Amino acid sequence: MKSVRVVVVGAGVIGFSTAVCIAEALPFCSVTLLAEKLSPDTTSDGAAGILFAAQFPDIPLDRQRRWFKDSFDHLLAIAQSSHSPDAGVMLSSGCQIFKEVPATKKPFWSEFVIGFRLMTDRELKRFPDHKYGQAFTTIKCECSTYLPWLEKRFRKTGGQVEQRKVNSLQELSNGYDIIVNCSGLGSITLVGDTEVYPVRGQVLKVEAPWLQHFIRDGDGTTYIYPGIHSVTIGGTKQEGDWRLQVDDGDTKSILERCSRLEPSIGKAKVASEWVGLRPSRRNLRLEREMMQLQGRRVPVVHNYGHGAWGVTLSWGTALDALGLVRQCLHEMPLRAKL
Amino acid sequence: MRVAVIGAGVIGLSTAQSIYQQYHSIASPLTIEVYADRFTPLTTSDGAAGFWQPYLYDNGKIQETKWNKETFDYLLSCLSSPESVKMGVFLQSGYNLFTEPVPDPSFKDTVLGFRQLTERELQMFPGYNYGWFNTALMVEGKTYLPWLMDWLQKRGVKFYQRKIDSFKELAETGADLIINCTGVRSGELQPDLELKPGRGQIVKVDAPWLKHWILTHDRYTESYNSPYIIPGSRLVTVGGVFQVGNWSEQCNSTDHKKIWENACELEPSLKHARIVEDWAGLRPVRSKVRLERETIQCGPTAIEVIHNS
Repeated sequence: MKSVRVVVVGAGVIGFSTAVCIAEALPFCSVTLLAEKLSPDTTSDGAAGILFAAQFPDIPLDRQRRWFKDSFDHLLAIAQSSHSPDAGVMLSSGCQIFKEVPATKKPFWSEFVIGFRLMTDRELKRFPDHKYGQAFTTIKCECSTYLPWLEKRFRKTGGQVEQRKVNSLQELSNGYDIIVNCSGLGSITLVGDTEVYPVRGQVLKVEAPWLQHFIRDGDGTTYIYPGIHSVTIGGTKQEGDWRLQVDDGDTKSILERCSRLEPSIGKAKVASEWVGLRPSRRNLRLEREMMQLQGRRVPVVHNYGHGAWGVTLSWGTALDALGLVRQCLHEMPLRAKL
Repeated sequence: MRVAVIGAGVIGLSTAQSIYQQYHSIASPLTIEVYADRFTPLTTSDGAAGFWQPYLYDNGKIQETKWNKETFDYLLSCLSSPESVKMGVFLQSGYNLFTEPVPDPSFKDTVLGFRQLTERELQMFPGYNYGWFNTALMVEGKTYLPWLMDWLQKRGVKFYQRKIDSFKELAETGADLIINCTGVRSGELQPDLELKPGRGQIVKVDAPWLKHWILTHDRYTESYNSPYIIPGSRLVTVGGVFQVGNWSEQCNSTDHKKIWENACELEPSLKHARIVEDWAGLRPVRSKVRLERETIQCGPTAIEVIHNS
């Protein structure tokens, strides 16, 4: 009989990864996932899902390296298996190019992606505006397929999914013993975190099946990511911008910038446009907290604020959150475990 | 000057294009005609995956390495043109896999970013202990040949669907120069003991999550007799067999089974791929490319023939 009731709030890549990690590792826990939005309406669904990390300023580097490595290795195993198309996970090779030589020549994630090397002069000739580049093979994880695949895994363990907006953690204190908060931007209102802010990103999906490589400008704002059925091109990074509607000026700018990197984009048909708000924070929040809710002391594990690196850090942070849940279990009074 | 090209595969059409580019203003008036019994999409070039990679070692045939390089560089330069999509030309990276270390190939400086595979990459391919990664070019025949024909037609080149039985036949119609680009069936125009068919069979599947080509090599067999997977712009080409001396253009179910099983072992996700079609074609195999001029005496007349097969 499942004796500990865990609830995960949020059904994006962080919510589902965390829920699966917990449900698969702790069979004596009953895990329920609650979210206002489910795939295909989450922020994760529109993301290209290319594994690629930046650095949070105040988190120990070792911890960040572990997050990246765990996520990469987990998804690589899926990409190499027969599950690859079902899970929406594939290998993707390409390059990151810079107009000026970057300060960090060997970013920390360079040892975790595959075959990382500098681009040769001949390769750079294709990009007359750029003078430096890195080539490597990484993973692309398409959440519109990956999230339903994770959901299947989650349900196999007996996990329950309920579409419901959680307005306050108070609502959950009676029904659950441990709360795991993966609500992304929702944390602003759910737990009153004023450090969370949106970074608006707009992307286009185009039909260009001849493109096999990703190309990313080191500024992080212009990129071309070929996927399973279409190519995602982008983007924008508008801090504090809450607009979810497509901006025609952004569309025009994206097409111009991407065509300059890859002229054949001009021949591609635009299939759709999408806007997502990256749930950003100076540092990702992954920690536990004891909260007083409706007269009860309830442990809460926070796993949010991944910004542009949700897919990239999803499994690693989920494993870390699982560790925090284990700590909560360890400290719980015996009667709750019976 | 009247030039007659026999053969409308990638060699015939490219040759016609080159001749036009080099000579249309010099040898004016220049008439170019292309004769073939098979045009796109029925040529050998149409069935091929369209992957640029020569045999691994040229064994001293440096002229061939030079031709290969010129081809690569030319196609690479086409990428920045707005025509590249219509030409069916695009870049793709991938893996050459071996069971033991081998010397670097003749084409290592021609392709982009050539390097040895890392340990981690080799772990992705159980059974293979060594390999290379590089970026190469794809030229899809089913797109490139129609593009070439359109290019030629716009410049006045005429096409005739007709089987040519002898060089004499064309010479008698008034051709000043005949270019023989007849590929595997060259022997029907002029016996060539060195020319043999290298039969290949492929399975074309829908597997759009695959973005890298993978070629395996077995030291005991010829290239392309070992599994290979080459994604294209729409479908993935899975092979392979290389049967020298086999003239059959029919698909063989034993070959299909062997190809499919080996490929699924190499790339497990293929199990989920929808099989679209099978195809068999005859590679025009020769110890070296025949590119030479010959004057054929035909009674009182001499016929100038250039062979490019």
